[in-house]
Amino acid sequence: MGTERKVNNRRKFFQTSAALVGGTLLYAIIKPFEALAQPKEEELKTDKANLPLWGMGVDLEKCIGCGKCAEACKIENKVPKEPFYFRTWVEQYTVKNDGTVKIESPNGGIGGLKQSVPDEEIFKSFMVPKLCNHCTKAPCVQACPVGATFISPDGVVLVDETYCIGCSYCIQACPYGARFMNPITKVADKCTFCYHRINEGLQPACVEVCPTNARIFGDLRDKESDLVNFLQVNPTQVLKPHLNTHSRVFYNGLSSEVK
Amino acid sequence: MPKLIFRLFLTFVVFVGIFILIQQLLTPESFGEYGHYRANAIDDNKMSTSFYKGEAKCNECHQDIFDQKALDVHDAVRCESCHSPKIDASTDCKVSPPIVKGTIKFCAECHATNPARLKKGVPQLNFKEHYDKQNCIECHNPHAPWELKEK
Repeated sequence: MGTERKVNNRRKFFQTSAALVGGTLLYAIIKPFEALAQPKEEELKTDKANLPLWGMGVDLEKCIGCGKCAEACKIENKVPKEPFYFRTWVEQYTVKNDGTVKIESPNGGIGGLKQSVPDEEIFKSFMVPKLCNHCTKAPCVQACPVGATFISPDGVVLVDETYCIGCSYCIQACPYGARFMNPITKVADKCTFCYHRINEGLQPACVEVCPTNARIFGDLRDKESDLVNFLQVNPTQVLKPHLNTHSRVFYNGLSSEVK
Repeated sequence: MPKLIFRLFLTFVVFVGIFILIQQLLTPESFGEYGHYRANAIDDNKMSTSFYKGEAKCNECHQDIFDQKALDVHDAVRCESCHSPKIDASTDCKVSPPIVKGTIKFCAECHATNPARLKKGVPQLNFKEHYDKQNCIECHNPHAPWELKEK
């Protein structure tokens, strides 16, 4: 009895392992042929060249920190009104005479930023609007375990709200702090360049309301767009270039203090 | 074929079959069409409503104000910079007009003194010195700020 059971166990074990190994092998063999079954890859690449590649330019010399962009973004995208949920916000940097840097952004700049440092202590001061940088090599996309965040064919980093499991890995992965957990939908939320607007031919809400035209939105592939012109005229920089995220939000007049 | 090998083969086929079946069931529709994500999510992102209609939409009814604005310093400021849409009346501004009171606090969002603001281009005022307690629009026409109203 005992010997028989042992033999049966061994047989079962070998059967299961063989099936497992075989299954994996078969899948590995089938996988490369999937491309043959759907020869769409080639078409898609040519299609991509015809699509726009969205990007944004931010002219820091023009930004006055009125916070209209942050306010408009909240209205347009139904972002909760609490002062810690922002798709875009404005930071005020103040470099003091002793070299220390003060960064403040009360309520994301909505209602206009006010200087809290007395005039005589200020070495220089400037505004920096921040938003999702729409990286070409987005760390958030790599971090997502389920493929709920992705770069669309026209270069916008989007969130699939129905597919997101709310693990907030992407929020930790984002080096720009551009993501947050939406308390209403319970999924990750971020700037989409107002994807619904740009596909209707409108400008993103923040660009639409900016009173000094400090934000320039456009198609990087269209050589005649305002954005390409802005990039040609001004020496621009991206935030945190050492991270190699290849972001598509370009800043003109960026100081080295900006983190 | 020996019975043993046949059983082994059968188990193998069944296992692979179940694997493919589960994978098919769990993969959502349109997943992987453009990459490791649901292609339909692109359309989902387009579904949202635009509350800000753009200046062209405002011009359909308010061409007169637009012409007035074009002649003065607020020409680059779009309508919705100040007249942000009321969220419940997103489709029709006639239902709930986006009226701005033009208080000092409102105008100060852009025009209050701040060393971080550019010195030229946007006039900066110390509002405490500049006629305290009065609303800006009592003297200034917001669409043409240098057209001062007579008192």
